Formats: sequence, structure tokens, C-alpha cells
Amino acid sequence: MLLQRIFASVLLLACLSLVLMAWPYQAPFSYEPIGPRAFPLLMLGLMGLGLVYMLFRPQPTKHTEEEPALDRDTLVKIGICVTLLIVFAATFESLGFILSSMLIGIPMARLYGGRWLPSVVIVTLMAIGLYLLFDKAMDVPLPLGLLEVLEN
Amino acid sequence: MDTFSYLGQGFGVALTPYNLVTALCGTLIGTVVGLLPGLGPINGVALLIPIAFALGLPPESALILLAAVYLGCEYGGRISSILLNIPGEASTVMTTLDGYPMARKGLAGVALSLSAWSSFIGAFIATCGMVLFAPLLAKWAIAFGPAEYFVLMVFAIVCLGGMAGDKPLKTFVAALIGLFLSAVGIDANSGVYRFTGDNIHLTDGIQFVVLVLGLFSISEILLLLEKTHRGQEAVKATGRMMFNLKEASSVFVVNIRCGLLGFIMGVLPGAGATLASAVAYMTEKRLAGASGKFGQGDMRGLAAPETAIGASACGALVPMLTLGVPGSGTTAVMIGALSLYNITPGPLLFQQQPDIVWGLIASLFVANIMLVILNIPMIRIFTRILAVPNWALVPVIAIITAIGVYAVHATTFDLFLMVGIGIFGYLLRKLDFPLSPVLLGFILGGLMEQNLRRALSISNGALDILWSSPITFGVWALIAVMLLVPILRIWRKRSVARRVVADV
Repeated sequence: MLLQRIFASVLLLACLSLVLMAWPYQAPFSYEPIGPRAFPLLMLGLMGLGLVYMLFRPQPTKHTEEEPALDRDTLVKIGICVTLLIVFAATFESLGFILSSMLIGIPMARLYGGRWLPSVVIVTLMAIGLYLLFDKAMDVPLPLGLLEVLEN
Repeated sequence: MDTFSYLGQGFGVALTPYNLVTALCGTLIGTVVGLLPGLGPINGVALLIPIAFALGLPPESALILLAAVYLGCEYGGRISSILLNIPGEASTVMTTLDGYPMARKGLAGVALSLSAWSSFIGAFIATCGMVLFAPLLAKWAIAFGPAEYFVLMVFAIVCLGGMAGDKPLKTFVAALIGLFLSAVGIDANSGVYRFTGDNIHLTDGIQFVVLVLGLFSISEILLLLEKTHRGQEAVKATGRMMFNLKEASSVFVVNIRCGLLGFIMGVLPGAGATLASAVAYMTEKRLAGASGKFGQGDMRGLAAPETAIGASACGALVPMLTLGVPGSGTTAVMIGALSLYNITPGPLLFQQQPDIVWGLIASLFVANIMLVILNIPMIRIFTRILAVPNWALVPVIAIITAIGVYAVHATTFDLFLMVGIGIFGYLLRKLDFPLSPVLLGFILGGLMEQNLRRALSISNGALDILWSSPITFGVWALIAVMLLVPILRIWRKRSVARRVVADV
């Protein structure tokens, strides 16, 4: 319940700041009665109403049966996982697809309970295999990054 | 009898060797994707959009591929719910109730093939319904102006809340989040940059694929972290693989009934497969009465939800193809795919591009037959895929998701955005918000705003155009009913609870 109240209030604040952001949106010259800001403002307004109601009367939250409560361990793991994903995004082009997927894939496999050797083997094979599959066979261009030297 | 000649033409498109191979690949990929935890029909279809585009598939083949993947995913989800008792998504919960007990009895193969058969009949009934009604609806829909479209989309959004049942407010907020997100980017009418924060990558808005994959794949990866222990053994699919004639005929009436039910539920926006399967199961359980062994492996209990799911999946294509208004998460993804090809679904699609519409309808038949046939030789391989542990699976899902996102625009900004959306999606899921309304809102948002502005331009700003015509008025009345349904339901539940308390 508390979590939902916090979430609702944060989202409500976001709504308010977005409304402020949208306020000056005006077409330089207009030939239609509805400008660019009406629709977003309408949506934000309705969302705000819903959120205010939620703030005072939080809705029941159903948890599925196998879902454990969020403890410190899980939160740390989620933090690590998010960091890995961000690192992936940051190194995707500079290191290249194969290296960056190995860089984050191996720790990620460890995070989900794999052992070192199988993790390294599977992630490496997968990274190379997926590169060949997508870049070579399916024409989805992927960055090679540091490995570009190998290509020539 | 135009319809039948068009349908024949559609089969001509679907049965070309190229499209047959496409459909076969689609069903295979879809089945594997549906099997794996963390990937469902929505991300399966979304992942393939950029790839189908990159492969240079012609639009009708791309659409056939996506439809085949969709059906394959549904089938794959069935395998994990029957053999593992783990429903891959909300709609297959009902399948586990009798499917898993059947598998425990040693009828795993029969359960799987029977479910594929039921789904095929459901899809068949729904496709017949589509063949009959879609052209009529399309003809009627030509009379729709922007005001009518706007009201219809409001109806689609409201339906989501009214039908989804126990959490109308959360559904409503989720849909509004999607509607708002669609406004990000440059405004096509006035050239004003909206909510871009001077970021050049947001100029043409949030990419649809990025939103879908972030919301569904990344949040699922984070959710899987909580469930590292998973010791459930899959039931071995041994013995007879095919159902026999007696079994098929014993559920035939159930198939027909639930097929019709599923089709109607599928056509209604917002109802979708989850509700259809639940209603079908409950109805059959009540009809069977004491003679049924529902919950202990009754074949009717397996056939009912599966038929309804198959029928509603095809039924959901009716509003998407005729009106251009998607009613479910998956059809929203398909609209996203079509818009990549510059195809706007709607009444004119039936006249301008009959190849695409009827080719798609025909390929649904073909893909369903393929799934029934594939079941026999492939099931052992599929069950082996179920044994892939999470630690090997999750990095691969993460990497493939990133490829899908990167393939759209080849910018790393989209990757960061995907992670951000993923975290937001995870929070929404933890707080029990439904995610597909966000998606549906996002797709409908752009259309809704355009139609609203167009309507008010016609009327020169007078708001009464939104309710003056008989069609709009009727739809507003339906909207009012839909808004009242959840309130009434909650009110009744509360009064029942109060009575129980008073009795004690």
C-alpha cells in the first residue's frame, strides 16, 4: 500500500512537471482550433485524477503465489542486473556487439546461478553465433567495435 | 459471393512455396519463443518486426510470418502449461487446470495434440466468422468520420478497464501512460517538439519496438531474478501422441460452443483471450455438472479454454483489420508492424490491398494445420527446450532484445531508453498494473489525437461534433455502460462482503 502511494505521488509529480513543460507548446501559426498541447494536457489531467484517487484509496495488489517478498538480496541482484544492462548499452558500439555481450552476458549468467565454465562457454558461443546469424545471415547490421581488426 | 473468391485469392497468396516456408519458420520460431519463460507472443512478435523488415520480406509475407509466430507462441505457451504446470501467460492459466492432470495421467501427448486441435477448431470458427463479418463491417466503417473514430477509440480504451475486471483504476492509469507516451516527439500538424527535452533521438517519438521490448522483455528479465529456484520437472511426453477419433468427437460440441463464444469475446475490444478462456472454462464446467471431472484431467476442461483462446485470437483481428482499432496487446503490435510498411489498417485496406488481408486470413488456416502436424514429430525436442536453465536463457534473451532494439534505428540511445522503460515496466508489474493497456494506449494515442483534431477542425472547434451523429451517440452510451460495469461489480462485491460480515 505504501509502495503504491509513493509510486502514485512520484508519478503525480512527474505529471505536474510534464504539464508545466507542455504549457508553452503553441503552434507558431495555427489553422486548426486544437493546438499541439490539448491532447497531452487532457491525458495528463485524467492521469492526475486517477493518481490522486489512488493516493487516497490505494488499490489492492495481488501477488502471485510463487513470488517471494522483496528482500535485500533480490534488490541487490536487481541493481546489479540493471547496471549490467546499462553497461551493455554503453559499450554496445564502442566494444562491439560480440565483446560487449560477453562482458555482460557472463556476469549475468553467474547472477542467475550458472557456474563459471559453462557460463563462459555458452555466452561466448551465443555471442558469436548470434552475430553471425543476425549480421551475416539476416542483414541486421551489428557493430563489430574492437574486433574490426579481425575482419580484414 | 465476392468473399469466397477473395478467400481463394488469399489461399493463392498463402500457399505459394515462399509464404509456406515463411509460415513454417514462423510457427517453429514462435513455438520455441512461447516455450521459453520470459518471452511471450507480444515480445516474440515485436522482436521479429525489425528483423522481418531487415530481411526485406514483402508486406504480406512479413504479416504471415508475424501471424504464424503469434500462433506458434500460443502453442508454445500451451506446452509449458501442460507439461510444467506453469502458465506462460495469463490466458493459459485455465489450460493448466486440466492439462497438467492429464499429463500426469500419462496422456501428455494426447493433451498437447488435443489442445492444438481445439485451438485449430476455434481458429477455424473464428476465421469463418471473420470471412462473413469483416467485409460487412468494413463496408459499414467507411461511413465513419474522424469524430466516430475518436469515440470508437475511447470505447476501446474504456473496454479494457471494464472487461479486465478487478483493477479498473490501474488499467485506466496504465492506458493513460501509453496514451501520453504517444505524444512524445515532433507534432506532425504544427511542428512543435513535445516532451523531447531537446534530445534529438526523441524527435520522432519513442520507437514502438523499444517500448514493447523494454516493457515486456527487460521487466521480465528482472522478474526472473526473483525466481532463481525452479526445481519443477517436466512431465515426460511418452506414449500416444495423437488423440483418437473418440476423444475428438467427445469434445466436439464443446469446441463449437467455445469457438463461437471466443470469437465474440475476441471481437469486443479489451476482452481478449484471458477473459474468453476463463468464461469458456466456467461455462463448460457448469454445463457438465456432476458428470464432469473438471480439475482432474477432464478433456472438456482442456478443450474449452484452448478453443476459446484460438477463436478470440483470430476474432481480435476483426476490429484491427476493419477499423484499424486494435483490441489487444498482440494486435497492437501487429498494427505497429503494419505501420512500418506504411500500411494503415482500416476499412479501405479490404479494397486497396485484398492480397494482404485475405492472405493473412488464409495463412492463419495454414499455420494452424502446421501446428497440429508439427506436434507429432517435434514434441520431444520441444520438451527438451523446456529444460534449458535460466542462467543460460536470460543473457540470451537480453542480447536478442538488444539486437531487436538496435535494429530499428542503430542508435545506442534506444538501448538506454529500453533499459529505462524496462525498469519502469518492472515497477508497474510489481505494483500489479497491467502492461498491455500501456501498449494499446501507445498505439491508439497517435490515432486518437489525429482524429480528435481533425474532427474539431471540421466543426471549427465546436465540441458537439463528438456526440451529434447517431453512431457517436450510440458509442458514448456503450462507453457509459462500460464505465458503470466495474463500479457496479465493486459495489456488489462490497455489499456481499458486508452481508457476510453481518451474518457472522
